[in-house]
Amino acid sequence: MNVEAYISSGVLEAYALGELSDQERAEVEKNLKQYPEIRKELAQIEEAQEKFLMNAAIQPRAAVKANLFAKIEGQKPATRVVKLPTESTGIAFWKFAAAASVTIALISSYLAYDYWNKWKKTENNLSELIAQNQRLAEDYNKVNQRLDQIGNYLSITDNPAFKRVVMTGTPNAPGALASVYWNESTKEVYLSIQDMKQLAQENQYQLWAIINGKPVDAGVFDSNFAGLLKMKDIEAGASTFAVTIEPRGGKESPTLETMQVAGNVVKG
Amino acid sequence: MEYLYDHYAGALLGVIARIIKKEEVAEEVLQDVFLKVWDRIESYDASKGKLFTWMLNIARNQAIDKTRSKEFSKDKKTGDIDNFVNRIDNEGYVEQKVEAIGLQELLKVLPEDQRFIIDHHYLKGYTQAEISEEFNLPLGTVKTRMRLAMKELRNLLKVE
Repeated sequence: MNVEAYISSGVLEAYALGELSDQERAEVEKNLKQYPEIRKELAQIEEAQEKFLMNAAIQPRAAVKANLFAKIEGQKPATRVVKLPTESTGIAFWKFAAAASVTIALISSYLAYDYWNKWKKTENNLSELIAQNQRLAEDYNKVNQRLDQIGNYLSITDNPAFKRVVMTGTPNAPGALASVYWNESTKEVYLSIQDMKQLAQENQYQLWAIINGKPVDAGVFDSNFAGLLKMKDIEAGASTFAVTIEPRGGKESPTLETMQVAGNVVKG
Repeated sequence: MEYLYDHYAGALLGVIARIIKKEEVAEEVLQDVFLKVWDRIESYDASKGKLFTWMLNIARNQAIDKTRSKEFSKDKKTGDIDNFVNRIDNEGYVEQKVEAIGLQELLKVLPEDQRFIIDHHYLKGYTQAEISEEFNLPLGTVKTRMRLAMKELRNLLKVE
């Protein structure tokens, strides 16, 4: 079929004007399905016609509308309502649907915003709580360790197998005071400081045990520890414990002039 | 339905009133048209044309049927339409004057022979066959002029 000739025959205008016989209409409707060009052409004709007639409109009096809708209301309203989902009443439906979706969209965006804020706040609170919890756990562990330590100290200081040797200050350091806990049978030696001054970085204190008049190295230490410090084992027979100041790392034999504290083992 | 009425009642009454010159009768027909639309809306098929075209055809047929009924005679068609249609400024009618003026100017742009067809068809309510018959024009000529006029209107009304 020559679509252009068909269009220019004016049959589509006549169709839009409703001036065709049933047979001619059927023919046009068949062609409409088949040819997009014809569809497009008809749509343009219809639109021009609609716009033109909109321009030529005469508004009916308000009473006409009221009357009409009263009549429609009168016509089995229930069944009519059911028949709504069709092409044209769809418009009213879509209006309603659009209004409804706008409302829903507004409400849900408000709710979303609200919940987002709450969620954000909750998240902040949660991370604060987690951090707090971590701090508490650390503190708890520290306290626990400290408690364990103290428990250990007590098991040493309260243990009658350990002899306490109080070492008092020499003329070099009159106020100094430290103690040694020594278990003769297991040879364990622990040191606790009551009062000893801080040393220069290159020096360290060194603990000595005097066995049969000879000094024996019992290990080096710094003054900045709390509690008990485990020293080298000392064989039975020590009569005195003393502390000297030596270069960092200690020496094989004590520098007696630097002796800070000393104390004798109480026999028995 | 209310949307349809608010949107299209004016345009349809414009068509009906130009076929039926009596105000009350035209409005009565308009009511009947909307009742029909209401009744048959399920039978509207979008693939066969725009909703307005469908409603327009119902309105035209309804109006023409009315003129053929007993209380109407053909000579009414040549009677004075101005009485009613030009009464649009009167109380009860809400017609936008601006658009009415636009309509006249729109028609002025068309060549005489095309304006004649549009005027008689859309504003005076003739069918193409009636125009051909009454003014001694071959139906083919009426159709061609109508087509050219519609093309022109498409340009003027900026139909894409």
